[in-house]
Amino acid sequence: MPLSAIKTVAKPQNGVGAFILQCKRLEFHYCDWAGSSRGMNAFIKTSLPAFAKRNPQIEMAISPRPRKHPVIRAHYINGAQRAICVRNLEAESVREKAEMLRDASGEKNKRVNKPVTSINESVRGIWSPFHGDEIKI
Amino acid sequence: MKRVRISRCATQLLAGRTPRRPSCPCAAGLQRDITPHDYRIQARSLSTVAIEKDSELDIGTPDPTSSQPAAAPAPPAIPHRKRLAPEQLPSPHPFAASHSTKLSALRARLSLHQRFPLQTLARTLVHPSADPDPAFNNASLSILGANLLGYYTTEYLLCNYPRLPIPVIFAAQHAYTGPKALATVASEWGIEAAAEPGGEVDPGLLQFRRLRSGSRVPAALRRQVPWKWNVTTTHRIVATDEFGSDNTPPDPQSLSAVPVPMEEAAQSFVRALIGALHLHLGSPLVKRFYRDHFLSRQLDLSTLFDFRTPTRDLSKLCAREGFEAPVARLISETGRASRHPVFVVGVYSGKDKLGEGAGASLEEARFRAAAAALKAWYLYRPIEVTLPSSMEGELDTRKWKPNMVDCGEVIV
Repeated sequence: MPLSAIKTVAKPQNGVGAFILQCKRLEFHYCDWAGSSRGMNAFIKTSLPAFAKRNPQIEMAISPRPRKHPVIRAHYINGAQRAICVRNLEAESVREKAEMLRDASGEKNKRVNKPVTSINESVRGIWSPFHGDEIKI
Repeated sequence: MKRVRISRCATQLLAGRTPRRPSCPCAAGLQRDITPHDYRIQARSLSTVAIEKDSELDIGTPDPTSSQPAAAPAPPAIPHRKRLAPEQLPSPHPFAASHSTKLSALRARLSLHQRFPLQTLARTLVHPSADPDPAFNNASLSILGANLLGYYTTEYLLCNYPRLPIPVIFAAQHAYTGPKALATVASEWGIEAAAEPGGEVDPGLLQFRRLRSGSRVPAALRRQVPWKWNVTTTHRIVATDEFGSDNTPPDPQSLSAVPVPMEEAAQSFVRALIGALHLHLGSPLVKRFYRDHFLSRQLDLSTLFDFRTPTRDLSKLCAREGFEAPVARLISETGRASRHPVFVVGVYSGKDKLGEGAGASLEEARFRAAAAALKAWYLYRPIEVTLPSSMEGELDTRKWKPNMVDCGEVIV
């Protein structure tokens, strides 16, 4: 054979064609008795149904966690978990924390230094000393 | 070509009216001639065990308050009805699908239409190794989906890159819809596998019989020896799968009750989902789904080429096309006597530069230049392309513009 081919797998680009929300499961843990769960309980009673309706991609689970602080735990598609303790927070702040977990990608937080990161090669190409106008000294 | 109505072509692949299907005493007289909606058929007739008699079937459901007809308690007219516990079923009962949060979350995550029933989505997650009954596993749907995936990928590649050599077409097919790619897609959709298949498991989990660690892959998947001693390119195109492998892919139903690796189950799920989408939503939506989830993945076709003798191929190509014989000329160089010399060599046919390459030696630069020239030829892309599948069901043939068909790669 004059020519053979290299077997690879095409790389995913989430959001280029379809967008898959990376958060797949949110667990809300509350305590009926303790005062630190007051905001969490209010959130579950009032705004959680609307929150679940707005985010049908996420599986919601509510379970009691007696004598412990309230916790929101998120499971991501890459297998990571992220938990936020929402003790003594108001219902509105609990919703903000839940939205923060929903929007996260599950990756570890990284410092982004470069303005653009791309898997496509540069349109302008790499500078070459052999091409273009010669520099006359 | 007239499109077949979906309700008609769908019913034969969904759980059909099998002879041992339990007869519903209320609905038997009513629904003789009409084709009911798909999920109802499935919901009413699904059972996942071998049943001796029709009258013995009545399956305990996880939610007895369900309003579906078969979920209601057995009418007193038929005695001797035995309730099967969900643990006795090989795969979850379809009624459990409508209560599964995982399934509805998966449907929303993939942006599937509400018309796509959860029961069918649950069926696509059941591999034949979990449930050998072809009416309840995804074997038939995965055959349909594999053909659709192969069709859409092949037509995209052949129409957009008419000069691609056949090994590169095979590799590109493998990269877009090969077994490994499909398993990756399934994991990117957030599919989780059940530890052990069974009727009591959440239907949103992928159900298959797991291969124990250290045990061998089943014989149907392992057939490495080609069953034809001279495996030619024609044989690869005609007789085997769309990825140019040496042997035929295993029949999905032959894997029933056999432990399989996770990759096999995940790819069968993705294929079955494509097949089920085709049946329920029709081909325009499937094509959009395919474009969004598969074609949008990044694949640089120029990295798939692996040339052995690019210079010889290029001179053969020039001879075939009637160009002047290619000549390599040095364009520029630096540091010939140093430790890191760089040579830039161009390949010319007459006055036309076909390709250019830089290398650390004259030979390397010449090879790279020839390879670049060959890639420029093979990766030619017509500006306007009409995909054959875009003309399905169209009566007006004036939109059709014939695609370019090339005479093929260089044969040395």
